[in-house]
Amino acid sequence: MSSIPLSAYLVTALLLFCMGLYGALTKRNAVIVLISIELMLNAVNINLVAFAKYGVGASIRGQVFSLFTITVAAAEAAVGLAILIALYRNRGTVNVDEMNTLKK
Amino acid sequence: MGYVWLIPVLPLLSFLIILFTRPVIYKKAGIVGTLFSGAAFVGSLIVLFSHFQEGNYLVEANWLSIDAITLTVGFEVNPLNALMLVIVTLVSFLVHMYSIGYMEDDERIATFFAYLGLFTFSMTALVMSPNLLQIYFFWELVGVCSFLLVGFYFYKPEAKAAAKKAFIVTRIGDVGLLVAIFLLYWQAGTLELDGIFSAAESGAITPTMITIIAILIFVGAVGKSGQFPLHTWLPDAMEGPTPVSALIHAATMVAAGVYLVAVMFPLFLASEAAMTTVAITGGVTAIFAATIALVQNDIKRILAYSTISQLGYMMLALGTAGYTAAVFHLTTHAFFKALLFLAAGSVIHAAHEQNILKLGGLGKKLKGTALLFLLGSLALSGFPLFSGFFSKDEILASAFSDERYILFGLALFTAFLTSFYMFRLYFLVFAGEGKGGAKESPRTMLIPMAVLAVLAVFSGFIQTHWFGTFLGDWLETTPYPVIFSSVEAPLWIPILASALSIGGIALAWLMYVKQSVPHNWLYGSIKEVHQVLDRKYYIDEIYQGVFVKGLFVFSYFWSYFDRFIVEGTAAAMRGVVTQLGKTGVKVQSGQVQTYGAVAFSGLVIVLLVIAALGGYFQ
Amino acid sequence: MTESYLLTLLVFSPLLGIILLCFMSPKHHSIKWIGTLSTLLPLLLTIIVFSLFERGIEGVQLQQSHTWFELMTSISPNEPYIISFELGVTGLSVLFLFLTALITFLASFTAHRMKDGLKGFFIIFLALELGILGVFSSENLFLFFLFFEITLVSTFLLLGRWGGFHKERAAFSFLIYNGIGSVLLLVVIITLFVELRTTNITELTLMLKDTDSLEYLSYDARMWLLVLLVVAFGTKLPIVPLHSWMVRVHVEAPIAVVMIHAGVLLKIGAYGLIRFGGGFFPEQLQDMAVVLAILGLINLLYGAFIAFVQTELRALLAYSSISHMGIVLLGLASFNSAGVQGAIFQTISHGLIAALLFLLIGVIVDRFGTTRLDELGGVASQTPLFAGFFLAAGLASLGLPGMSGFISEFLAFLGVFKAMPVIGAIGVIGIILTAVYILRAVLAVTFGERRPSFDRKADLTATELVSSSVLLIMIIWIGVYPAILTSTLGTIGIGG
Repeated sequence: MSSIPLSAYLVTALLLFCMGLYGALTKRNAVIVLISIELMLNAVNINLVAFAKYGVGASIRGQVFSLFTITVAAAEAAVGLAILIALYRNRGTVNVDEMNTLKK
Repeated sequence: MGYVWLIPVLPLLSFLIILFTRPVIYKKAGIVGTLFSGAAFVGSLIVLFSHFQEGNYLVEANWLSIDAITLTVGFEVNPLNALMLVIVTLVSFLVHMYSIGYMEDDERIATFFAYLGLFTFSMTALVMSPNLLQIYFFWELVGVCSFLLVGFYFYKPEAKAAAKKAFIVTRIGDVGLLVAIFLLYWQAGTLELDGIFSAAESGAITPTMITIIAILIFVGAVGKSGQFPLHTWLPDAMEGPTPVSALIHAATMVAAGVYLVAVMFPLFLASEAAMTTVAITGGVTAIFAATIALVQNDIKRILAYSTISQLGYMMLALGTAGYTAAVFHLTTHAFFKALLFLAAGSVIHAAHEQNILKLGGLGKKLKGTALLFLLGSLALSGFPLFSGFFSKDEILASAFSDERYILFGLALFTAFLTSFYMFRLYFLVFAGEGKGGAKESPRTMLIPMAVLAVLAVFSGFIQTHWFGTFLGDWLETTPYPVIFSSVEAPLWIPILASALSIGGIALAWLMYVKQSVPHNWLYGSIKEVHQVLDRKYYIDEIYQGVFVKGLFVFSYFWSYFDRFIVEGTAAAMRGVVTQLGKTGVKVQSGQVQTYGAVAFSGLVIVLLVIAALGGYFQ
Repeated sequence: MTESYLLTLLVFSPLLGIILLCFMSPKHHSIKWIGTLSTLLPLLLTIIVFSLFERGIEGVQLQQSHTWFELMTSISPNEPYIISFELGVTGLSVLFLFLTALITFLASFTAHRMKDGLKGFFIIFLALELGILGVFSSENLFLFFLFFEITLVSTFLLLGRWGGFHKERAAFSFLIYNGIGSVLLLVVIITLFVELRTTNITELTLMLKDTDSLEYLSYDARMWLLVLLVVAFGTKLPIVPLHSWMVRVHVEAPIAVVMIHAGVLLKIGAYGLIRFGGGFFPEQLQDMAVVLAILGLINLLYGAFIAFVQTELRALLAYSSISHMGIVLLGLASFNSAGVQGAIFQTISHGLIAALLFLLIGVIVDRFGTTRLDELGGVASQTPLFAGFFLAAGLASLGLPGMSGFISEFLAFLGVFKAMPVIGAIGVIGIILTAVYILRAVLAVTFGERRPSFDRKADLTATELVSSSVLLIMIIWIGVYPAILTSTLGTIGIGG
């Protein structure tokens, strides 16, 4: 029915993932980093759903996994934001450059 | 004869009993020790007489066997052993008795007697050993006893130094003996004496090897018997209690070197070079020590140098094939030198002074001691018909008949020096005016000296060419292939020796009693010579400067090498690793984003490589 | 077949004490006695093992073997690599087991003086004993390695927690040197395992014995493995220049640990060289005998020279140990039965003598508060018993006949003089030097003028007296009747 090929979904997902990755690795604001991670997760979701429809062994499993991912992403965003707020209260900043306690 | 092993066991028992009951037994230790050593002496006499009847005796057992290597232990009685046993146990018994009085005031008297017991055990076991390993075993043990007894007054720094020196210098010699044992074992395949001698005779050992081994054995004897150049420990060993000097450093242990060469005599006979070495060392030591004794002022040190000199005589006798002469002189020397030391001890005990220049006129106060000392001095000086006269005569004859005329001349001159320094000592201590009070020693001290005096006077008659060569004939029954060269000295030798001996006494008399010859003529005329003699030819200083300092410098060098080079290398390697780590730390910025970027680029690179290579699954 | 579990029982017997101690309050006053009693159990068990051990029979006795786990690999899926739990003793190891249990028992008494952390100390101390007992009764290389590592870790902990002033430095130094040694050992073990598919020591010995075929490993490969073994066990022995850790351990570790360390732990190096180096690669060992002999000679003289100028008693004895271990190497390198037996005698004799010396140094530390030679002196006046024992220990150490040191040195040098007379002739200098530095040390402590500051110091206590007497009696016993050792040792695989 639909004429949109699998590759289009994959390319969209790839672009989305790359944007997310770029944001996660380069942005200094932790909130934007979190949003970028969400972007990457959504890119994965697109892939999961696309393969569930057009993949070799197409089945409902992919969609189920995407639901899981969405749930985990939501939880992750909640926990991440909570940590961020706690961090902001402590440090007065959400700049990731200053979050280097791993080193010390 | 089957019970011959009891002889060393008795003093060992004495040692153990006194050691474990020290606080209880305290002063009675002397009596216990004397009883046990007396029993050992009686046993030795029985062994001696049964040897006259039954001849030689040897019993052996396995001690240790490893594959083909078998080491044995055993006991042997042959003429030499039996004679040594009697000398050792007799002197030991008398010294035990003497020490009861001499050590009376010492609170460590029990320890002293324990050590004496241990020494008597080791020494008797040494002279009964039928193999070299056992000889070495007890050889070291007597060395340790000597060390313990020299250091008996351990709180005196001089005693500490002397004990250490005694042990280390003799150990240098001991190592020579030990190497000889190793070489002999692989050459002869056994350490038993008969095996060694038969191997040497059959030509299983090359002549060069025999020479090397004999000289190494002699190195051991040099250390023990205080021969030049390892003599330095013996005068210092006089720091020990005087009875010890009499027993160990005059009569028995220091004679062990002579005994060792006598035991290994067949091996020495097989090597002309070794014999020459022994003869020259002995002759040089004899005159060398006698010259030093001329100018010493410590009563015990004079006797110590005299001991070295007399041991040199014995070595000279051995080196000139005078087996009987050496053993004979060993016997008589044991008696008169022990007597002299005990008498010196009696003087020290009475006057609390060892410097002969500060002593004098004791002849009136210590009549008994003075008489006994005189008898000992006459015997040592070789005064006609005293024991030393006969034994020295044998040695001179042996050197003469072996055609070693230079050594013979040196020995004659030594005889003159000996009688001079002995009577210098005697006149300075006993003649003249009294200085300070002194009380004669108790009877427990005088009786042993009297016994020794009798022997010092008469023991010479066991071997004379006038009455009979009893000792020589008996020694010839040895089971080992010793060649006996029975020589009758030309008549002029004993006459000349007597004249020299009496001349020495007369010179001393003129100098120190009559005072018609100035007694400081040597100091006055040639100061340098006196200085050299007084400093004992600077041997101690040379050893101190060369060997001790050298050892320190060398050791410090390696110590610093260890601290800086070895540990430094380790530290450098540690530094390299630390630096590498520090470089790594810089990469760890703590920025998760950097880590992520690196991880991502890594992943990309891996995927690219796999893609370029055509995939993992090909 | 209760006997077959005897060794397992023995090896793990210290566990009983460990468990008991774990449940006790650290403040409890009887901790030290529980600790000592727990070391008594292994001692009794070793005595049983010793009595059950049949002398004069070659090979491994009291053996037991269970498959422990199997490794499936993709390389050979059908033949799993099997690792077994195998214990067994030879004449050599049974002697070491006894030495271990005895010295640990005596050392535990010296730990009673310690003030803090007794509970932890005894737990790790017992773990150390477990490790050593395991090392000497393992019949399997993996098991050997496992127990070897236990000794390493527990020594590290004992040293780092209860050591002296520079304890951390000593502990890390110990760990690094020995860790490197273990890695090399592991390389050898794994190589053998991969190539020969077994880690049973006896099987390996038999398989490698057939040197003509070189079926499993080439000559060069064996040579390399031997070199690795020599470095691995040489670190433990230690061979100069891998010795600086050991000096630090001697100086810093608590006395109880030094007693075990000098008495037994160092001997693992010799044990490994003899059992594995000589057992697996006899031909290669013989070919590198000259190298070993030279290393031994260097050890002997290097240790002696440096010991001569030490001013600290513990450091002096550490270098003395290095020197004495040189004789082990020399004896081993001589490659004949006299030399090899001499080397083994020396390890056992030195174990006893070092334990005795350090036991007495414990007394010095306790009474006089210093081990510096210039601060000690004249103690024979105040503590005659101690002085007597110290002198006897010193004489034993310098190889006095009648004590165990003499017969060991005699046999070792006898062997060397057969194989390499020149090296032997240089080596005997060491005998003189030993006398020089030992007498210097012993006399500096006991002889000399009375020091009033030591006047009220107590002599040996009853426990110390009995402990030292036990060791001294054994030293004299071996010295007078060395056949007691040879009959247990039987024939050693190397030399002829």
